[in-house]
Amino acid sequence: MLAAEASQAMSHSAGWFLEHAWVIPIIPAVAFALIIFFGKRLPMKGSELGVASMVASLVLAVGAAWQWIQKINDASEGGVSYLTRAAGEKTPFVGPIVREWTWWQSGGFEFGIGQHIDGLALTLLVVVAFISTLVQIYSLEYLKGDRRYTHFFAALTLFSAGMLSMVLAPNMVQLILGWEIMGLCSFMLIGHWWEDQANARAALKAFFTVRVGDMGLLIGTGALFFAANNWTQANLGVSGFNISGLSAWAMSGEASKSVLTWAAVALFIACIGKSGQFPLHTWLPDAMAGPTPVSSLLHSSTMVVAGVFLVARLYPVFWEGLQIGDTGINFIVLIGGVTIVIAALLAFVQSDIKKVLAYSTVSQLGYMMMGLGAGAWLPAVFHIFTHAFFKACLFLAAGSVSHSGSHHSFDMKKDMGGLAKKMPITATTWIISTLALAGVFPLAGFFSKDEIIDNVGHNGYQAFMIVGLSGAFLTAAYMTRATYLTFFGEARGAAAGEHHDEGHATDHGHDAHDDHGHDAHAAHGAHDSHDDHGAHGPHESPKLITIPLVILAFLALTAGFSNAVPFGASWERFKKYVEPSPAFVMPEPVKASGPGEAIVVLDSTRASEGGEEGGAKSGCSYQAPAEGEVCYFPAVSHAKFKWSKAALSLLIVAVGLVSSWMFCVQYYTRRNRRLVGLTERNVILRGGYTFLANKYYLDALYEKVIVRAVAYPIARAAYWFNQNVLDGIVNGAGKISRRTAGWVYRNIDQHVVDGAVNGSGAAARGTGGALRPVQSGKVNQYGALLFAAAAIGALVLVIVNT
Amino acid sequence: MEVLRDQNWLLTVGTFLPLVGVVVMLFIPKSDEQSHKSVALITALATLAIGIYTLTQFDFDQADKLQFFADAEWIKVISSNYTIGLDGMSLPLYILSMIVTVLVMIYSWDHIPSPGNPKAFLSLMLILQTGMAGTFIAQDLILFFVFFEVVLLPMYFMIGVWGGEQRQYASLKFFLYTMFGSALMLVAFIALFFKVRGALPEGVEPSFSIPMLAEYGGLLGRSAQIWIFAGMFVGFAVKVPMFPFHTWLPDAHTQAPTQGSVILAAILLKLGTYGFVRIAIPILPEGAREWAPWIGLLSVIGIIYGAFGCLAQNDMKRLIAFSSVAHMGFVMLGISTLTPMGFNAALFGMVAHGLITGMLFFIAGSVKERYHTLEIARLGGMLKQLPKLGWILGFCAMASLGLPGLAGFWGEFPAILAAYSPAPGLSEEVFRVFMVIAALGTVFAAAYLLWLFQRTAFGEPKPEFSGGHGHDGHGHDGHDDLHDVNTYEWIAWTPFLIAIVVFGVYPQLMFKIFDPAVSVALKAFGG
Amino acid sequence: MLASILAQVPWQAPTIDYHAIAPEIVLAAGICLIILVDLFVSESKKWITASLTGFVLLGALIPVLTLAVSDPDARSLFDGRYVIDEYALTLKALFLIAGYVVVLLSQNHVEEGDYYQGEYYTLLLTSLTGMVMMGSSRDLVSIFVALEFLSIPAYMLAAWRKRDRKSNEAGVKYYLLGVFASAVMLYGMSLLYGVTGSTLLSEIGRQITVEGDFGGVHALAIVFVVVGFAFKVSAVPFHTWAPDTYEGAPTPVTAFLSVASKAAGFVALVTILYVGVPQAKDVWQPFLWVLAALTMTVGNLLALRQSNIVRMLAYSSISQGGFILMPLAVAGTGDAAGPALQAVVVYLLVYAAMNLGMFAVVIAASRTTRSGEISSFGGLFSYAPGLGVLMTIFLASLAGIPPLGGWIAKFAAFRAVLEAGNGWAYGIAVIGAINSVIAFGYYGNVMREVWMKPAPNGETRAVATPTSLVAALTITAAATLLLGVLPGTVLRFGDLADLVGAFGR
Repeated sequence: MLAAEASQAMSHSAGWFLEHAWVIPIIPAVAFALIIFFGKRLPMKGSELGVASMVASLVLAVGAAWQWIQKINDASEGGVSYLTRAAGEKTPFVGPIVREWTWWQSGGFEFGIGQHIDGLALTLLVVVAFISTLVQIYSLEYLKGDRRYTHFFAALTLFSAGMLSMVLAPNMVQLILGWEIMGLCSFMLIGHWWEDQANARAALKAFFTVRVGDMGLLIGTGALFFAANNWTQANLGVSGFNISGLSAWAMSGEASKSVLTWAAVALFIACIGKSGQFPLHTWLPDAMAGPTPVSSLLHSSTMVVAGVFLVARLYPVFWEGLQIGDTGINFIVLIGGVTIVIAALLAFVQSDIKKVLAYSTVSQLGYMMMGLGAGAWLPAVFHIFTHAFFKACLFLAAGSVSHSGSHHSFDMKKDMGGLAKKMPITATTWIISTLALAGVFPLAGFFSKDEIIDNVGHNGYQAFMIVGLSGAFLTAAYMTRATYLTFFGEARGAAAGEHHDEGHATDHGHDAHDDHGHDAHAAHGAHDSHDDHGAHGPHESPKLITIPLVILAFLALTAGFSNAVPFGASWERFKKYVEPSPAFVMPEPVKASGPGEAIVVLDSTRASEGGEEGGAKSGCSYQAPAEGEVCYFPAVSHAKFKWSKAALSLLIVAVGLVSSWMFCVQYYTRRNRRLVGLTERNVILRGGYTFLANKYYLDALYEKVIVRAVAYPIARAAYWFNQNVLDGIVNGAGKISRRTAGWVYRNIDQHVVDGAVNGSGAAARGTGGALRPVQSGKVNQYGALLFAAAAIGALVLVIVNT
Repeated sequence: MEVLRDQNWLLTVGTFLPLVGVVVMLFIPKSDEQSHKSVALITALATLAIGIYTLTQFDFDQADKLQFFADAEWIKVISSNYTIGLDGMSLPLYILSMIVTVLVMIYSWDHIPSPGNPKAFLSLMLILQTGMAGTFIAQDLILFFVFFEVVLLPMYFMIGVWGGEQRQYASLKFFLYTMFGSALMLVAFIALFFKVRGALPEGVEPSFSIPMLAEYGGLLGRSAQIWIFAGMFVGFAVKVPMFPFHTWLPDAHTQAPTQGSVILAAILLKLGTYGFVRIAIPILPEGAREWAPWIGLLSVIGIIYGAFGCLAQNDMKRLIAFSSVAHMGFVMLGISTLTPMGFNAALFGMVAHGLITGMLFFIAGSVKERYHTLEIARLGGMLKQLPKLGWILGFCAMASLGLPGLAGFWGEFPAILAAYSPAPGLSEEVFRVFMVIAALGTVFAAAYLLWLFQRTAFGEPKPEFSGGHGHDGHGHDGHDDLHDVNTYEWIAWTPFLIAIVVFGVYPQLMFKIFDPAVSVALKAFGG
Repeated sequence: MLASILAQVPWQAPTIDYHAIAPEIVLAAGICLIILVDLFVSESKKWITASLTGFVLLGALIPVLTLAVSDPDARSLFDGRYVIDEYALTLKALFLIAGYVVVLLSQNHVEEGDYYQGEYYTLLLTSLTGMVMMGSSRDLVSIFVALEFLSIPAYMLAAWRKRDRKSNEAGVKYYLLGVFASAVMLYGMSLLYGVTGSTLLSEIGRQITVEGDFGGVHALAIVFVVVGFAFKVSAVPFHTWAPDTYEGAPTPVTAFLSVASKAAGFVALVTILYVGVPQAKDVWQPFLWVLAALTMTVGNLLALRQSNIVRMLAYSSISQGGFILMPLAVAGTGDAAGPALQAVVVYLLVYAAMNLGMFAVVIAASRTTRSGEISSFGGLFSYAPGLGVLMTIFLASLAGIPPLGGWIAKFAAFRAVLEAGNGWAYGIAVIGAINSVIAFGYYGNVMREVWMKPAPNGETRAVATPTSLVAALTITAAATLLLGVLPGTVLRFGDLADLVGAFGR
């Protein structure tokens, strides 16, 4: 009883920032509206609103995060705790702060809107707000004088609003809302320079491909809702959309396995689309048609991790639905693993720096998915965190290069090289981030990626550990290649100061290049200041660009230490503050102030005492639940860090770096006979190269085969059917009735059937005689018909009636 | 059936007021166009004022009951009465019809289609308004039928006189189709009357009153219900229109003048779906349950099929027309589930589709006026020449493909949800298949709408319109009147755009009105 | 000799209720009056006869009204051979008003095309007298007399455009075929008399019952009688005279034939079926069913083909006749008798209003177009919006579109049929439904000309419409709208319990 009251008190003193986290997405949303309506009239064309709103959101997010940490610390001191695997070791349980208000109701079902704040949500909130702020600042300079400067910031802000609202969504409907808004913004931003149909096509492709996946989201949500609603209503008093509700239901063991499985698969299909997993990853590289800040925000650090986030968010559903617990190969880990490798391989054959990064992103997302699929929840989420920093940094650096170094070209082979001296800051930040991405100790990437690989192995997915390691090798290799081509070797093209402006797009037919040739032009048409840059040859970018770079690079350097497993448990802050507790707790719905009904999942009302490992099979913590208790998260196990394993992966990375560097030196600078043109000479290599160059022919399959088939033959056929069959029937009916009418009129009505005439010959003759004076002879026929009909009618009825 | 009778003059006035305007216009000489426009507009505004007053007087806590209920003797001999009333299901559509008329009037202020003659054009529109409003308030089958038919002739003339090249074919097709449907519908109504009269308990007066029939219709035998439902089905399905009765729609829409298309899309199509939710299903639960899977099937066929139709179009207006087929497919899918959620989705979808597609037709009209063509291949770069119009098009395309946060989504998403678990007695497997197909439909919707947007708005303007070198005379005058959205258009459109956003952000505004009435309509299904 | 024979026969004059037959008396007097006037007025003053005719008709209407209000129960003369009941009164009123409208239509038409005016109106009145009598006749003989009384003047009127061969031909055709029909009918009647020994319908009704000695001869008799009237109402396949005659005759006469004399035919048919042979429904129901189906369908299909508006209207009126027959085809089934009778009466009233109106518009419009071709009405709405709208109203009403009179007529018909509610009923109902859609094909076609086509040869100068026509148009249009919006007013005339009673037996 006392405990209950205490927890009541606790849950209500969650702290202002935590209670009002739902304000975070509203700020940019409002800012968006303001920009749209008043942006053009403002001194800075509305960009100030965007930046300001992002800063505000960031402050709130950080505040909330700070209070969350406080809350957990309080809990750990004498607060409620439960038993973890390591017997005897107690860790605090702190439930998410869920606030949900009725948004709309239909047919007895309630649909809420509100917030679901826990470690995961807060991590994403902070990351999104932070990166958005930096990118917007960066864009102030990067897009200066662009034709649609205001639109750009409006879209960027709206995107942040969408992403933030998705991240703190307490239920699936709000999540879908944010999810789709992000898609819209991605469409608008990729197509930002839509004068060029190529960009427009890329935008369309991105939206459409993701939309294909979204089918799964709708279906999965529906399935879960109807399967879970009764249970959640009964046990938690929330609808079947509610995320904690769904989690608890999935963990309850009362959920139908088949529904769970199908729903999990459906939802994951959505994630495949959104997070550019194989085989729907093809839109992401094309999305690079958008301005670089967009690539760095949406298409590397934040939006594309939405899919990963969804899996992490509804982890119990996937855990139970796909039996992640036991070590058979499952859908997620498989897709993730495949994606890592195929994307990494593609990164090698790109000469467009942004495409290299795009494929690298795809491959890293593969890591995250693989981690989640293998039960390595925490490392995967941690990887979202670290990856955001160094990948954003890489993109911004690439942008900086094209902005001031290569005259708006993104072609490493044609327009770059040797820029390290000319743009030291950019180069430094780039290299730091590269090393982080490659996973070099002690940079951010190491702590997250190595953890994933380690845990995947630890959870019994050895095969995928190998995949992870080879992925690490490839990553190191292709990033080195990109680095070398961009910053080392001799300067080429624009980097060498050649100023070619017009016909830029045409003089190299390279496809991927084309886009950027154009987007450069678009940027050009907007402002000629860039011509000057170009004219003066490569130089370091202005402050507004370099400052975000430096900040991000710093984080790429240090972010890893927020969960530095190697240095012992005390360093595992992420684990402590982010990973939900696998505990059976007593939920308690209570009225909340504010519009409509709100539910709060309270902290545990009892401290769980001892327990057996055996309980683990229930998927949750290690003792049998008491009556009415529910559990929100499966008990994921954590690998014990061993330097030996770490050393292995570090070695692989090192090999990757060095070998690739040497190759590049030989190939690009020394023009080594034996290497150059190898792909022409060696059949196998040539085959492989063409295969890669054509992106495994997936695009060909989608665009040339499927889309074309639907858009042309099938649609045409359907339309033909419409016009000729369906309409034909209608018009035909009309025609037929007119035809018959005509026939009857001519043959029956006007010249009565002769038979009738002969049939009553006498009458006809008689009348015929009488009718000579009349010009037309019809009358006798008419008369004949009259008598005939009467006679027939009479005959029939007489026979019938006698 | 409990009803609220206070202020029961409201609906009658609101419905027939437009006719007063028509009478006034009769006495104004044809040449005096301005005063015709003003009279028409004033009448429409007055009607809307009544409508808004009705809105304020409507008791939202009792949205399940018929309000402003009036019941006067009309045709005693056939026991049909002038029974009218408004509940949560009809209120939004009733008001919508008034709003749309006003906005269309405003739009007409400087967009009277050739061959001019605003007197006739606007009078017809007012008569149309009466017919539409009347259909939504009628609570007597015969009265419903009369109003249902009243809209035919005005629309027939609107298409036939002020329409495009093949206007005569289109108008006749529209008319014959609808008339065919309503003839069978009438037969069904009368048959229903006699059957129910046979089944009525002692002391209940047989009549065509919808509430009464809804109460006792369930007494009918199964086969009788199935047959009568079939009759009604044809009548309503033609109006919706459902595959395969839809072929009048593309022609009618394409040929009709902008105003005609807007009204057609915004209100007239809803008469059919409204008929299902108000009459066919509540009165004939057994028949409905029997037919629901087939309705669902035709709906999903319509969804996919309409999408294909759109993909095959190279005429913007015709594409929008086909998109209507797809969207009404979603509405009918929601209805076919026979669940409250499905019905709510359907009703929401009706309003949303009315707003969005109506808006799209407005845009098409304005594009036609500026470019003198709707051929997608010839358009392009609209965003560059007419940025405002272009962005509005983009906005509506997004709304139409069901982007959450805009009205369209709340018609589609709940309908798809509802299909997952249809009413008891319907096969879940079948409907789940429908659900998947419908979800696929949303993908196609994205495809054709964005494709349309990309081809018309993105890219560089075509030389023939970009004013520069070498374009034919057509392109020339096309270029000359390339002006962006003008004042009248803004006035007429803004309410639509606002409504799309508001209902998208806070759907509860409408759901809370529908919900009670729907659960009454579905009580036969344990709704 | 003769006297002695007469003397042997005990004969005393029957008591005559003069109030009851006042309408007929007024008409008779009117006829004599007009003949006289015609003799004395000069050519230039002939229009007086027209006005006189109008007054006579209105005068005859007065006693009808007084009778209607006097006492509810029916007055029966000549021991039940001549009955004045609600049914009779309603139809007398219908005939008289229709006649009045026809006079209005005729006035200028007859005046401008040089016809013999006096005789024209005399014959018109005579024919109307016959119809008025028909309303009350309850005896084979009186029915036959009334029929010939109304037909023979009509034959002459049909040929009234004496310099026009078409008109003459029309008259002769109508005459000859009419005679054939009468012959057939008379044969049927004589057979009826033969088997029942009475000419009094109620008596015949008592004799002819399904049980008892009902045989082929009864069937033969009934069929022939029905055929006679089927000709009058131009039911397919006895319709062949109609189009030629309608086209040939002067347009007002056509209006008269297509409305009044058709109505008279139905009146007689109904009387015989309801009073005379209700029990023999197994004979006449199928027969009428076939006739109705044929008439609706063929009439419609053929109307689709017409390019001449009068001819189109001829076929349209044939198919409308089919709709009137439709309820009779099931009148004997279930308790459909009442609604069926109601439907017929209502249909006749509404049909009279809208069809006369249609002819009025055609007459008025063709004063401008000077042609009967449908295409000549192109753009009518643009230069004569008034006529355009009126024509639209009447066409829409004929097509049965609410809220115009036509729909309630069709509705009543369908209702009656479905009241019967057996397979035959549903069958004919569906046929009817489909036909009502086809019908719009040709009605809509005219509307299309009026609204959507440009005026041929740029003729855009509307000719003023004379007052008499305006009056006719006003009456008919008002009636059409009123009947449509408040059908209760007309439907009340429809429930005639006493006539339906016969089915009870």
